[in-house]
Amino acid sequence: MTQVLDRERIAEWSQQEPQRPWTRKPVHLQVWIALAALLPAVIVALMFTYTDLPGPVLMVVVYLPLQLVASGFAALATKGRQGIADSVIIVNAIGATLFSFIILFSVLGSLIFRGFEALWGDDGFRSSFLVQNNVYINPSTPLEYGGLGHAVIGTLIIVLIASVIAVPIGIATAIYITEVRGRAVPYVRFFVQAMSGVPSIVAGLFILTVLIVSGAIGQSAFAGGLAYAILMLPTVARTAEEVLRLIPEDLRTGALALGSTRARVVLRVVIPAAKTGIITAIILGVARVIGETAPLLLTSLKSDQTVLNPLSDPIAALPTYIFDNVALPYPGAVTRAWGAALVLMIIVLILFTIARILGRDRLNKSR
Amino acid sequence: MPTAEYEGDVEVLEDQFAGKPNVGPIELESRDVSVWFGQRKVLEGVNIAFPKKTVTALIGPSGCGKSTYIRTLNRLHELIPGAALAGSVLYEGKDIYDTDVDPVHIRLKIGMVFQKPNPFPSMTIRGNVLSGLKLSGMKRDGHDEIVEQTLTSAGLWNEVKDRLDSAAGELSGGQQQRLVIARALAVQPHVLLMDEPCSALDPASTLKIEETIRELSKEITIVIVTHNMQQAVRVSDYTAFFLAAENEPGYVIEQGPTTDIFSNPQDQRTLDYVNGRFG
Amino acid sequence: MSMPRTEVRRDLKSAATSHKGDRVFNRSITAAAFTALVVLAGIAIFLGLSAVEALRTQGLDFLFTTEWSVEQEDPKAGIWGMLYGSVLLSAIGLVIAIPASLLLSVFIVFLAPRRLAKVMTNVVDLMAAIPSVILGLWAFYLLNPPAEEWQFLLNKYLGWIPIFQNESGNFNGTPFIAGFVLAIMMIPIITSVSREVLGRTPPDLINAAEALGCSLWTMLRYVALPYGRGGIVGGIMLGLGRALGETIAIFFVLKLIFETNWYNIIESGGGSVATLIVATFGEVSGPYELNLLLAAGFFLFVGTLVVNVIANLIVQRTGRMQR
Repeated sequence: MTQVLDRERIAEWSQQEPQRPWTRKPVHLQVWIALAALLPAVIVALMFTYTDLPGPVLMVVVYLPLQLVASGFAALATKGRQGIADSVIIVNAIGATLFSFIILFSVLGSLIFRGFEALWGDDGFRSSFLVQNNVYINPSTPLEYGGLGHAVIGTLIIVLIASVIAVPIGIATAIYITEVRGRAVPYVRFFVQAMSGVPSIVAGLFILTVLIVSGAIGQSAFAGGLAYAILMLPTVARTAEEVLRLIPEDLRTGALALGSTRARVVLRVVIPAAKTGIITAIILGVARVIGETAPLLLTSLKSDQTVLNPLSDPIAALPTYIFDNVALPYPGAVTRAWGAALVLMIIVLILFTIARILGRDRLNKSR
Repeated sequence: MPTAEYEGDVEVLEDQFAGKPNVGPIELESRDVSVWFGQRKVLEGVNIAFPKKTVTALIGPSGCGKSTYIRTLNRLHELIPGAALAGSVLYEGKDIYDTDVDPVHIRLKIGMVFQKPNPFPSMTIRGNVLSGLKLSGMKRDGHDEIVEQTLTSAGLWNEVKDRLDSAAGELSGGQQQRLVIARALAVQPHVLLMDEPCSALDPASTLKIEETIRELSKEITIVIVTHNMQQAVRVSDYTAFFLAAENEPGYVIEQGPTTDIFSNPQDQRTLDYVNGRFG
Repeated sequence: MSMPRTEVRRDLKSAATSHKGDRVFNRSITAAAFTALVVLAGIAIFLGLSAVEALRTQGLDFLFTTEWSVEQEDPKAGIWGMLYGSVLLSAIGLVIAIPASLLLSVFIVFLAPRRLAKVMTNVVDLMAAIPSVILGLWAFYLLNPPAEEWQFLLNKYLGWIPIFQNESGNFNGTPFIAGFVLAIMMIPIITSVSREVLGRTPPDLINAAEALGCSLWTMLRYVALPYGRGGIVGGIMLGLGRALGETIAIFFVLKLIFETNWYNIIESGGGSVATLIVATFGEVSGPYELNLLLAAGFFLFVGTLVVNVIANLIVQRTGRMQR
């Protein structure tokens, strides 16, 4: 005989509350867990007050091992021997997370607090810092005079030159891989990837030997731009390739079926469809190079003046400006360095945020 | 009313279960189990008792909560974010959701085989069989014997005894599923939950696994979710029929000995389902 | 009478590019695509010529000795200390970065609630975006003071271990600090790759492990890490490649010396090929010295190229296996 659903009990069942019985822990185990959480903290706090060991040392050398041991015991009590390995991993994973938070906030915080001084004087926002150049300034000149206007312009010029070279070639490379699909595609990808590993200083050395030492061009914005282009190209090519790959094949075959040439398919159909993605590729490429110092140290050097001719003279740029001022024994110079670093970081953050927003839009649209 | 199609199967069943004991002690039982994902109630009031050393089939259209239900039986349900439940699941008389019950212990005693065979590709065949011991920390002696015994019970020993150290990924789908069964057996479960174990396999492998199930049920209790009604008839002693109406949680509409469910169901919906009129 | 049918095999590819505009298009695109190769070859050739010249005049001593006396009549230069130093600094960085990155990726993929995981992913990406010169600035002013204290204590309590010995009492500009800064640059790279790889562990396998009563550790050890092993190794090598070529971040925190500092990592002074190039470039005495720097750059190029190629091969191979 079979049993049928007892409809009369449905009312009773509808009174049930959803529960999570697996989250409940028996009282004695809760005690263990509380001890494990509090005891190490208390011990460390006491040691901090009564000894003069520095804070960070205490945290790593005393708190971490204590917390590991305490958590180990708590785990042993709640889950048995299997739990100990888990507790070690969890405590350390949380530690690693806190560590990276601390580093990031330390870097960003120091930029804000120390760079602030350069951008904010007694009368408020010091726009002179952003606009003026350093022609008559020496390291001990007070901060009201001089600025990084010339460095900002220099960075813009160099990045522009680099983009003009790297973006078309990068996009062309991506087109070769996804549209032309020649036989050499795996080789091209290999070379692009190899190129992305070239250290920035090597890029600078290359431009130095090929063009500067041989006398073809002098140390200038153009040379710096070429060095940047070498570093920018792989990023632009790789991102553009990913983006072009996302364009559905139907778009291409449809255009071809209408009698379009391959070239027109790419230029008039595929690229416009991938517009946002290509802009993202460009922005990521720029963000990748804009903070690079080493290649500029070898190619465009530095300057105190505002230079507009990209071919003739050495030119200032934000990274080299920072580099020059970092280790000078004058507090004014150091503050300038922090100020420039703050400006550079803000630019990089803006670029990354734009790239991220564009990237998200692209993902949403393709769904 | 029994339909002509099932006459033959009923005879088969009566032969098969000729030597079987009547409903004896209960191995596992769910009482008033209701399941939620977030705010959505997907199952309500499931009361099923699984007698020792029998095979129970859970049948019903897709999406009415059968797979969700069996995951409450070995405490895998709680690993899904947003999961909640009410009611109790009794194993050996004790609620497995009590605070002093170790979920690892439950999962060792109540094993699971999934729809898609999932042996660990980075391990050898031998390694896969013994992987449960390493993953749970269970200690057993005589690894070689364990490998041979479980593979034999799973009906795979003869095919792989000469290549125990080859990669598990090289086996066919049916062989992988039997390997997975051996892996589950290595930790000595008393219950084996099977979630549509044959739906991804070819008919020949399916039959082999059904044979394995019948053999295994002499030692352990088996609960099998299946869409294949002929399989339910071939393999199970008891059957429970699940159904969920639109926007409502799933219920067990009818349950009982397989012969009765298929030849003499009381509920019209059960009759319709087993006659293939929907689902 | 029936004519024999001659079948002509038509090469469809050439038919597709018969239009003149297309041919021009194809050729220019193909030419552009080979820019990468041209540049790489150019670097190899031009820097290689300098390397050849350096080896010719200095012999193998250029690679295996450590000194830089170029102002004298018979200039002697050897970059061994720099080569070794680059490796040592990267090794120190890896010792810190590998556990930190693995723990971070395990946290993001398996431990953190979804929203916190997203935040952490952004934190890591942000760390990757920090330009090296800013990191160098931060390290010089904010990392140095506590680091000096740390190393002092390390030396005081653990100084009997050889690597923690310090003769000069100076804890400034040590390989340890430079290695630490390199670790900060490597962690985002390794974490990104590991996070992606671990996140792709098939849920089927994790379900199987859970049904067998696994714990976090056993699941990692027997399922997730073996699955992601290739990608993680690839990521580590990518990080290593980055560290070997890093110049500016460590420029201010490493004191460049021309003796090989073998293992006293908290002793002041160390070497790095990239730092050598930047430090010496400004005051180069003449074309000969410049050429030596170019030669050093060549070896740096080759080293990072090899590491990067291997890294990419590993990442690609495991990516293919996982599909």
